[in-house]
Amino acid sequence: MSSSPSPTRAKAAAAAIYRRTQATTARGPRYGILASAVFHGLIFAAAIFTFQRNFDMAEDSNVVPVDLVTVADVTNVAAQAPPAPEPEKMDIPVPANEPPPEPQMQEIEPAPVPPMPKFDIEKEVKPKPAPPKKTAAQDFAALLNKLTTTEKPARNAKPAERVIPGIGSGNAMTANIADALKSQIYRCWSPPTGAPDARDLVVDYALRLNQDGTVASLQMTPGTQVAAASNAYTRAASEAASRAIYQCQPYRLPLDRYNVWREINPLRFDPRQMMEQ
Amino acid sequence: MKKFLILVAATAALTAAAIFTPALAQLRVDVTQGVSQPLPIAIPDFVGDPQAGANIAGVVRADLERSGLFRPLDQKGFVERITNINTVPTFGSWRSITAQGLVTGQVTQQPDGRLRVDFRLWDVYGESQMLGLQFFTTPENWRRIAHMVSDAIYERITGEKGYFDTRIVFISETGPAVKRVKRLAIMDQDGANPIFLTNGSYMVLTPRFNPTAQMIAYMSYIAAKPRVYLFDIETGKQEVLGNFPNMTFSPRFSPDGNRVALTLETAGNSDIYVMDLRSRAIRRLTSDPGIDTAPSFSPDGRQIAFESDRGGSQQIYVMNADGSGQRRISFGAGNNGTPVWSPRGDLLAFTKQQGGRFTIGVMRTDGSGERLISSGGRDEGPTWAPNGRVLMYSRSLGGGAGSQIWSVDVTGRNERRVLTPGSASDPAWSPLIQ
Repeated sequence: MSSSPSPTRAKAAAAAIYRRTQATTARGPRYGILASAVFHGLIFAAAIFTFQRNFDMAEDSNVVPVDLVTVADVTNVAAQAPPAPEPEKMDIPVPANEPPPEPQMQEIEPAPVPPMPKFDIEKEVKPKPAPPKKTAAQDFAALLNKLTTTEKPARNAKPAERVIPGIGSGNAMTANIADALKSQIYRCWSPPTGAPDARDLVVDYALRLNQDGTVASLQMTPGTQVAAASNAYTRAASEAASRAIYQCQPYRLPLDRYNVWREINPLRFDPRQMMEQ
Repeated sequence: MKKFLILVAATAALTAAAIFTPALAQLRVDVTQGVSQPLPIAIPDFVGDPQAGANIAGVVRADLERSGLFRPLDQKGFVERITNINTVPTFGSWRSITAQGLVTGQVTQQPDGRLRVDFRLWDVYGESQMLGLQFFTTPENWRRIAHMVSDAIYERITGEKGYFDTRIVFISETGPAVKRVKRLAIMDQDGANPIFLTNGSYMVLTPRFNPTAQMIAYMSYIAAKPRVYLFDIETGKQEVLGNFPNMTFSPRFSPDGNRVALTLETAGNSDIYVMDLRSRAIRRLTSDPGIDTAPSFSPDGRQIAFESDRGGSQQIYVMNADGSGQRRISFGAGNNGTPVWSPRGDLLAFTKQQGGRFTIGVMRTDGSGERLISSGGRDEGPTWAPNGRVLMYSRSLGGGAGSQIWSVDVTGRNERRVLTPGSASDPAWSPLIQ
């Protein structure tokens, strides 16, 4: 299944937001300026479009979705008629000669609106310096022991007022916290792996955590939101990721580094390595 | 030049915007490893008519469990008892038993005698309804409704089309090995409602559905002459396909159902032909001296995969539907044959013969990415589920013990036997029933 052009573009644009600073310097001298300008134009167009959509979706989030299914009048179910020359019964009696009438499907009345999980809507996604990529696999258990503090967070802990700038730029400590979080999420994450195009299964979330490690807010990034709205595989992948995040909370992370892990964006779920195994 | 300046200005403005946007400390995390495990789902017996409710929920549980992607939870552990499907369930009580999905349904008898089946699929963690559908049917049709419910749940959660409301034709084998009776039979994909379509007075092999699941093409030895026949499931009529002087075999329909590709053998040389079913015009597609057989159309009808030994060993080739552009795509070890194009178009399933073992594999349509997905050692003749996600094939038990039908996920997981009444081989999966 191929995704329609707009989500693909929006996904590329969303990814490009994080690469923005590198993109403008790493390009070649001849086409760099032109490509950069076009690219940035796309980013802004996509951002305006997706943020607008973001607010719209918040308005609609109380509606319980109901799918409409239509069934053809003529069925191709046959074979209940006995074949020539002599039909023979097997273990189970042969059904009636006339195929039963086609079942009809109708829309079902939506159930009373259930309480929706409360998600904060981000105003915008800010560019940030990219942290270093993890290279070697780490011993998660050992890591956890090192990182997890004995101090219990207060009940009903609230997110800090504001993220302190400057922290989170790539360093070993950040990478360790990222690994600690990964080691706690991965056991809850069972991604769908059947899509013809594995790229449709990569989804990004913005996650805010309370000090006690519970989820304060969770939302798809604009790019993923657009893709999930039009691609059933991406929607399934985004829901699998969301289930994993909720199921494995609370996350045990070092409280004295709360300013580092208070906000994770993007929290990316990428099953492509798993699919190659 | 002016254009260039505008571009420079625009770029400068955008770069400045990027630089002066305050950088926040946001941690970036890439989760690339997970644990593939079936989704725990709670499917209590549907309320309303107790018998029909238990039956339908039972078929849905069995369908989803067999897919390998769901783990229906034992009803004994349920904390909340569903009595009304039109109220929101207590999600916490379902989370407490590790359910991630919940299906609530009800079956009611209508005044006109029909059954009405409603169901809802709930996201237990997201605390929202994912799906709600209603069906009307005659009471004897309840199994199909259950399969339709399974398909809807499967599609909503995996993003892929379901395949439960489908049927399988296969060759039922009875009698001793030396005098085996091979009859054409049909059943639901879960093994229910098996029916013989032929009486066993002649041997039937390699059945294939047409795209409407109403016609079956197969090879049969009638009057000791192996030929391709067409069989109409509804009327039970069969006819020989084409007035060929010699043996014809390995038929397969084109995706539009208007053509049949088959193999014609003449003096030891087998070549692939295609027949237009309306005009009965025949066209020869291959003409080399080797054995060319087992044609299979791509879903767009533009290409045909087939097997040939023209290169010295049996390998898989692809050509355009008019016979042009023939090229070899399989270069792996051993012999590779019986290619079958996935309904999704992305893969070819095939049978690999190497070191005395027969194994089912899949490869991309350019021959790359070969993976073996069955484990029996005597497996052959793959057929795709209509969603391109699951395969069935024959597994010979060896020593005259007959054959079984097995299924496996395209990932190679969840290999399991498909229960048939007695020995069975040569399965062919129908398209989704409409």
